Amino acid sequence: MKIKAMTLLLIGFVISICQLAHVLYSGFGVISFLMALTVSLVLLYFIFVSRKTAIFTRIKDENVPKYTERSQSDSDKLIHTTLEQISELVDQQVSVIDNEINRTNTLVRDATEGLSQSFKHLQSLSCEQQQMMNRVINNHRNIGDEKETSLEDFVNDSSRTLEEFVNVIITTSKQSLQAMSFTEEMSKQLDGIFNLLAEVENLASQTNLLALNAAIEAARAGDAGRGFAVVASEVRSLSVNSTELNNDIRKEIFKTQTIIGNLRDSVEVMASADMTSTLESKENVSNMVVNVARINKESSEIIDNLAGLTPQINDTVSIGVRSLQFEDLTNQTLTSLKYNLDNLTSISHKLSMINLSDKNITNTLQDILLNCHDVTDKTNKINNQRSVSQSSMDEGDIDLF
Amino acid sequence: MAIKVNLSKENNQLIIRIEERFDFSLHQAFRDAYINVKTNNTEFVLDLSSTSYMDSSALGMILLLKDHAEVLSGTVTIRKPSDTVNKILEIAQFHRLLKIEY
Repeated sequence: MKIKAMTLLLIGFVISICQLAHVLYSGFGVISFLMALTVSLVLLYFIFVSRKTAIFTRIKDENVPKYTERSQSDSDKLIHTTLEQISELVDQQVSVIDNEINRTNTLVRDATEGLSQSFKHLQSLSCEQQQMMNRVINNHRNIGDEKETSLEDFVNDSSRTLEEFVNVIITTSKQSLQAMSFTEEMSKQLDGIFNLLAEVENLASQTNLLALNAAIEAARAGDAGRGFAVVASEVRSLSVNSTELNNDIRKEIFKTQTIIGNLRDSVEVMASADMTSTLESKENVSNMVVNVARINKESSEIIDNLAGLTPQINDTVSIGVRSLQFEDLTNQTLTSLKYNLDNLTSISHKLSMINLSDKNITNTLQDILLNCHDVTDKTNKINNQRSVSQSSMDEGDIDLF
Repeated sequence: MAIKVNLSKENNQLIIRIEERFDFSLHQAFRDAYINVKTNNTEFVLDLSSTSYMDSSALGMILLLKDHAEVLSGTVTIRKPSDTVNKILEIAQFHRLLKIEY
């Protein structure tokens, strides 16, 4: 009778351990493990005591057929006390686990809230960054004037301006040289005038000589030539005046020659522009064109890369937000753990109610056994449902909250 | 004299060779070198292989030579310009106006 009861008790505890192992398997860490370990130790102790009692009883049966009622009642009491102790222990452990579950719930909720805020902030920062980038890109592409001229246009304009400048220089040189040759011709013309003046000079001196001869002839004619002498004198003074006028003209033309010389100097300055600085400018502009093209190419590549980054950041944030569902899943898992703990508590309470001196002990034990089966079946069912339900957080799309 | 002129009647060709500096000081001599050539279809060759420097007045002189050649339905060819001189010709975009032999 006693051995049968022990066996039933053992079966009950083995089922409890299975239940416990199930809790452990559900992944609720060290606390479950400790609890399982404790219960297992107590159970081992219990088995040890019961076996001792059994041996003791057997010896008594063999050697002393009439065992005393007193030792039997002590043994029952011990079993009862032990079962009560186990129940208390299970209660204590379950309460600790319950507290830890609640604490974990709070921690997970707080952390999730923090992460969610952080993701939202991250996304707004990313948007802000993108806007700033766009501004930088726009600024980079123009040189900051009202027409929003691009750097490339500016360099091309400079190049064109330089070409026009060179053309102006060359045209000026050409025109100046042409003017120069006209001036040379003018100078030659003035030389011709000098020759003409020399002839005029010659005429004047011949006239002067002629007037002198006339005056001599008039003097020789005496009174009759007096009137002619006056005419001869006038002619002579005319020839002197003519020579003076000639000299004045020569002086004026000489001045003109000097002015033409000055003109030549000016034209020379106008026509001769040193091209070395222009050459350097041209080279600078050419280099600039190449550089601007290179910078534009690099900038375009960077801009393209930047444009690709923003969706990537958004995707990453979405993945993060989706991963925050772990709060719900963890909550569910923890809640289901509470159900398992309740089962443990109720079974342990029933064990503590066992009274070996009770006549209905068989019924009580059968009741416990049934209860154990019932709990095991239900737990299996719940477990199966759970494995069907979502086990990964990657599935499903989640909007930002 | 920094200008050497070689007129070849058979080839209908006038070669003007400029040595060292090609600037305003040569304008009279340069003009004198070609102004009396009145033969139609003359090829004016400007040998710049010994020219080390050229300013804008040289470019003006070349354009005047070109005008003179065009009146005679002739051509102007620039022969073997040095690197420096060639750069100046490029800036002036003379390769669009004249034949340049390297």
